[in-house]
Amino acid sequence: MKKFFSTALARGLVWQLIGTLVGAGLVTGIRAMMGLSITDTFFFTEPAWVLGAFFGVLFFLAGNGSVSDWFKWSRGIDTPEHHEDHYTGWEKYLNVSLDHKVIGIQYTVTALLLISIGGLFALIFRTELAQSQLQFLTVDMKLFGQNGPQLYNTLMSLHGMIMIVSILLGIAGIINYVVPLLLGAQDMAFPRLNAFSFWIAVPAAVLLLMSLVLGGFDTGWTGYPPLSVRAPVGVQMFFLGVAAAGWSSILGALNVIATIIRMRSKGMTAMRMPIFVWAAVATSIIALTATQLIGLSFQLVMFQRLFGMGFFDPAKGGNPVLFQHLFWFYSHPAVYVFVLPGLGVISELLPVFARKPLFGYRWIAMSSMGIALVGFLVWAHHMFTSGMNEYLRVPFMYSTLLVAIPTGVKFFSWVATIWKGKLTYPTPMLFVLGAIVVFLLGGLTGPPNATVSVDLHLHDTYFIVGHFHDTIFGGFVFPFFAALYYWFPKATGRRMNETLGKIHFWLMTPSFFVLTFGMMQIGLLGMRRRIVDYDPALGFDSTHLVLTIAGYLIGLSVLIFIYNFFNSIKNGEKAEGNVWNSRSPEWQVPSPMPVHNYDQPFEVVGEPYDYGLPGSKYVEFSSPAKSKHK
Amino acid sequence: MSHTQDKSAALRQGVLIFIYLAALTALEYFIAITFKAVSILVIVAMIKAALVMYYYMHIYKLNAESEDDEHSYEYKTGTNRLGLWLFLLSDSFVFAGLMTTRINLLGLTRPHLDQLLGLVVTAILLLSSFFMNRGETAMSHGDKKSFMNNTLVTFVLGLGFLLGVVLVEWRLAAEGGLVASFGNPAAGPMGAVFYIMTGMHAFHVLTGLIFLGVVWNNARKNLYSARQHWGVEAAAVYWHFVDLVWIFYYPALYLIGRVV
Ligand SMILES: [Cu+2]
Repeated sequence: MKKFFSTALARGLVWQLIGTLVGAGLVTGIRAMMGLSITDTFFFTEPAWVLGAFFGVLFFLAGNGSVSDWFKWSRGIDTPEHHEDHYTGWEKYLNVSLDHKVIGIQYTVTALLLISIGGLFALIFRTELAQSQLQFLTVDMKLFGQNGPQLYNTLMSLHGMIMIVSILLGIAGIINYVVPLLLGAQDMAFPRLNAFSFWIAVPAAVLLLMSLVLGGFDTGWTGYPPLSVRAPVGVQMFFLGVAAAGWSSILGALNVIATIIRMRSKGMTAMRMPIFVWAAVATSIIALTATQLIGLSFQLVMFQRLFGMGFFDPAKGGNPVLFQHLFWFYSHPAVYVFVLPGLGVISELLPVFARKPLFGYRWIAMSSMGIALVGFLVWAHHMFTSGMNEYLRVPFMYSTLLVAIPTGVKFFSWVATIWKGKLTYPTPMLFVLGAIVVFLLGGLTGPPNATVSVDLHLHDTYFIVGHFHDTIFGGFVFPFFAALYYWFPKATGRRMNETLGKIHFWLMTPSFFVLTFGMMQIGLLGMRRRIVDYDPALGFDSTHLVLTIAGYLIGLSVLIFIYNFFNSIKNGEKAEGNVWNSRSPEWQVPSPMPVHNYDQPFEVVGEPYDYGLPGSKYVEFSSPAKSKHK
Repeated sequence: MSHTQDKSAALRQGVLIFIYLAALTALEYFIAITFKAVSILVIVAMIKAALVMYYYMHIYKLNAESEDDEHSYEYKTGTNRLGLWLFLLSDSFVFAGLMTTRINLLGLTRPHLDQLLGLVVTAILLLSSFFMNRGETAMSHGDKKSFMNNTLVTFVLGLGFLLGVVLVEWRLAAEGGLVASFGNPAAGPMGAVFYIMTGMHAFHVLTGLIFLGVVWNNARKNLYSARQHWGVEAAAVYWHFVDLVWIFYYPALYLIGRVV
């Protein structure tokens, strides 16, 4: 325990608390001098909480040591190029490390933690939905200054944003761990920025959870005004948490792009990069740029609340629809930030387990870029019912439908890669195949929503919820699990238990189908999303009960995974060689990966996915004598 | 365009570009007060931006060939340069978002502001960019003393711009009835847009000033040389970026549209 309190994580959290009190105290003091009120429902006034939360993030980062090298640089003090970690075992992961492999694992474990929290929230409100009428989130109950239905709104909203942040951290985890290894680099281009990007996500998560106890917010994860202008102070914590998580994503993406452009090993031309690297580039382009717009849209609401600036207030000449434009300019492409790395994982792993070359490598690489670029032009398909100018509907409908083309390219390639392959079915492959099927469902249910005439009916129904969960499970959750089962031996030198892995898969997949098909079915019949209760006369009670049971089964399967994950670190079957018989460079060296990655640099001498072609080779390691590095 | 000019040629080029920029700024002002052609103002701003990006921010250096050794200072500077430009790209989406807000809410109207004061602060910022360029050019030829003097001038002018906007302009605007609201329903979005745009820009000026202070101090400690001065280059590029943003914000707030 004593060891825990001396870690960077614990220090950061303590400093965040101090920073929050300092910031809030500062505003309170100033307000007292100005003769303004100094307390409110949640002890401090709203401006005090806002500055407090802001200071909290700054203090966290200054206090846990993730910015100390930069402060030294600014004073002209050099710091060593390569840090060795002072810590071993679990302590290594709770302290600031500059090693991309450690940071990748920090990201991944934090993502799993947040997925569990977000999932728990979902189970709570799904339990309430199992039956019509209010059962336990009643009007009479009170928690954190909210009654039952208000708490439902907060949990539903937080489920959305916590899951989004967990996805961003999850993809950052996989990308951080894997991309430098695939490139043959020793680390990311900017190791300190990398550590910073991870650590700022921690206070961000704390802020998001703080919103729950500060009155919550009832806006959904989208935070539309005027609702978000009227919501309790919790919505400000939500805004600030998203802003901090956004910077994590932006700076992480910057690092990924710079790494991929500058740190490829010899011979790795653009068209010989692993396909996952292409996916990482595409996703990072979106995350680097568009993320600023969600931050800005929330910041403007924050200022409207704090200073009465009327950006989105029609009474002051503002325009609420403007918010939706700014917000969706990020939040649609964000979906591609979530799924492109997952689709990259599918393309990366499929040839390994089909023992065949990846079909249409160039097309797949370009389709990722295509999805990313077209993704910038489709945002207003979320606004067909918003009252925006009607002539905008048709162009946005067509641009959205256009996304189906590069996405279709991927499906053709996957099917053609499977065709006549010598398939084996270890757990990662099961999740890859599951991902393809689930993402197909997500893909097929997309165009109806993009079509204006149909969307006017489907907007804000459970159909959208089902569609969305299909895309995210197919594009992120299944591939994420596939990636974790696949690269786990690389990181630990052991493999995860196959039987538990298969139970995880066979429990989660059918439950998930039931969940989303059920959602889409009642959605088509008129079940509204985001509401705490529904009319029993609609006859949805039995479906909702089934959905709730399916939700619990998914939760159970994830618990089995988490047990398997942590148990296998110590007790898993040893797997130090090329477990999956892969051509990729990281599997040509023993596991777990050495601290400085490759002892000998490698040169790319062939195509990455020529599985089953006799005599073909992707990488060649130079002999120690020829090596010009080190 | 040769990129390895001798020092006096580089300084001459800086002067020439400054004259172009100053002339275009004057032209802008003239167009705005006479025939109010928005499209010409947009084109002029884009020409100014292109000049700054190429000649002051040296965007072409992104393409520079560097040697193979990944551990050399030169190679790392190339990587750092890419990182900085990616950051600026990201940051410019914030400014573009605010510009979108301005266009959406104000359209072809603009706040009631003193156009001459706007021209004065713009001239100060442009002048600071000019001295920044001189400073960076001096450092890249190993002239530390000249770098420090020019950076000091840049800093003073930058501070002048910041105070001119936040102390003088904001006060005058507020006295003229342009308020961010604070519960005044008659304010309209005009004040909100004006303060958020100038405020966000001023925040970047402030960070730029801190950055200038840091590299000035490190130059004092003899940490930069003609070959190794990435910190100086980064501070200069960032400073020019702040100027670049103002190239668009100045006409958007002071020149385009009719006063309401
Ligand atoms: Cu969308």
